[in-house]
Amino acid sequence: MRLNVSLIIGAILTFCAISIAVVSTFWLPYNPNLPNIPNRLLAAGSAEHWLGTDVLGRDIISQLMVGARTSIVVGAGGATISLVLGAIMGLIAAASGKIVDETISRVADIMLSIPGMVTALVLAATLGSGALTTIFALTAFFTPSFTRVARSAALSVLQEDFITAAQLYGRGRIFILARHVFPNIAGVLIVQFTLYFAAGILTEAGLSYLGVGVTRPGISWGLMLSEAQNQVGVSSPLAMWPGLSIVIVVLGLNLMGDGLRDVLDPKLSKSIL
Amino acid sequence: MVTYLIRRLVFFFGALFAASVLIFILIRAAGGNVAAIVLGRHASANAIDALAAEYGLDRPLPVQYIDWIKGMLHGDLGRSFRTGESVADLVVSRLSISIPLALSGLILGLIIAIPAGVFAARNAGRPVGAFVGLLSQIGIAVPVFWAGILLSLLFGVYLGLLPTGGWVPWSVDPIQSIRSLVLPVISLGLILGAVMTRYVRSAILDVMNQDYVRTARACGMTESQALVQVGLRNASLPIVTVIGLQMAELIGGTVIIETVFSIPGLSRMILANVAAREVIVVQSTVMLIIVFVIFVNLMVDLLYSVLDPRTRLGQ
Repeated sequence: MRLNVSLIIGAILTFCAISIAVVSTFWLPYNPNLPNIPNRLLAAGSAEHWLGTDVLGRDIISQLMVGARTSIVVGAGGATISLVLGAIMGLIAAASGKIVDETISRVADIMLSIPGMVTALVLAATLGSGALTTIFALTAFFTPSFTRVARSAALSVLQEDFITAAQLYGRGRIFILARHVFPNIAGVLIVQFTLYFAAGILTEAGLSYLGVGVTRPGISWGLMLSEAQNQVGVSSPLAMWPGLSIVIVVLGLNLMGDGLRDVLDPKLSKSIL
Repeated sequence: MVTYLIRRLVFFFGALFAASVLIFILIRAAGGNVAAIVLGRHASANAIDALAAEYGLDRPLPVQYIDWIKGMLHGDLGRSFRTGESVADLVVSRLSISIPLALSGLILGLIIAIPAGVFAARNAGRPVGAFVGLLSQIGIAVPVFWAGILLSLLFGVYLGLLPTGGWVPWSVDPIQSIRSLVLPVISLGLILGAVMTRYVRSAILDVMNQDYVRTARACGMTESQALVQVGLRNASLPIVTVIGLQMAELIGGTVIIETVFSIPGLSRMILANVAAREVIVVQSTVMLIIVFVIFVNLMVDLLYSVLDPRTRLGQ
């Protein structure tokens, strides 16, 4: 098998991001929310604060590390719940009769036609802002896509001869779905998971930037950018680090998803690298 | 064709109904006693009841829902609690900012994406093609608000060429209004362009591998002739779909970019009214946006069936 450049670069970037998020749970250089006014707006490269401090003297590296954790927990959380719900709904739709299938498919279509960002604003207003609301909103937008993908993949697997063989052997419907269909659609779902993980991180950053996602004492890259924009001009590097972090992590996940797609389904090779 | 049309229309109205119920429940469920929240803690019980009665908030929810829908169908979107202004007037004044912004962003996105996508597909497997592909991957990873912040830093703060934010009404100084929209439109267009480049590239790649393009090549057409004369109509299908799919992305991007550049468009109005608990303003405005998106999707489907007769026959 040819080495897949996208997959390798993507996997390395993703691994680094997850490692940083894990480290942030037990070690941080400084308390990311502790103001330190004498050291405010230190430039990057100072001996104690490598990437400097913000307008209240809070350490940038520590904030970026907690931000990585927020992004990954919210992005992976939203994508995982959607994956599970979507796979179940998709399998049910594919294996059931016309009425159930039509109902599930049409509900998914309707959900997909509702613009996510606007609905997330409404959700944040009603449920209150925070990481959990954001995960809930992501689940609402992503589940229909997973349902569609799982359904169409499962439908084509259900045409295969080995399914007929299993039916003739007397296997129950649920056994066939779990033992034969699911393993065969897992690859497609994993690719989809990676791409929606990335989309979740972007959405979380956007909502936190608007002030309806994660708020202090929580830390998110989007929140850091919104704070930085209020003092852009004073210290523009503050607007660089969180943005770069988002780009690196999202790019890593998308490259990994592309690479995985090529590896799992070489016929459809469309990856760019 | 008629069955297809009926199916699409049934779906269109079904989707509108489902979305309106969803929005109504979402906004009302958490609203609590709306009148009490709007008037604040020191309001007397009489004043709260009076406001509730004036806006019909004391009636059962299903009645309120039906009244809301009836009003919407007659162009009455309700009034704001605080100012008493009609929501329709508020929306129209904001749309004169948001529509030019979103539309120019989409057009700029297409101007970038179509040539870039075709170029990347024609050069697939070569370093230049991979480079364009990589640029588009990076563009997809850039949050639209970060692009906005960076552009306003560069052109606004350092070079001082364009305003970093704010808005001058069209009626006061149209040139200034356009200047205020330049950076937001570029931010939106760059990011949308990056996303759409990917779709265009894979649409063209699909077409290039089709038998009819190969036949055209065998008949002596150059690759460009084959693509334009034979492939374009086929490649236009996925591109039309992409424009439909990008609607949600476009609206999401416009919501954020209006905040980045403090432009008082529709989404700033929604954000402010969400904070102020103006439930009627929020539910009507959000519903209008949803109607618009679902309508665009319907148009895309119909256009699709005009461009490609096959879709009319199949399921």
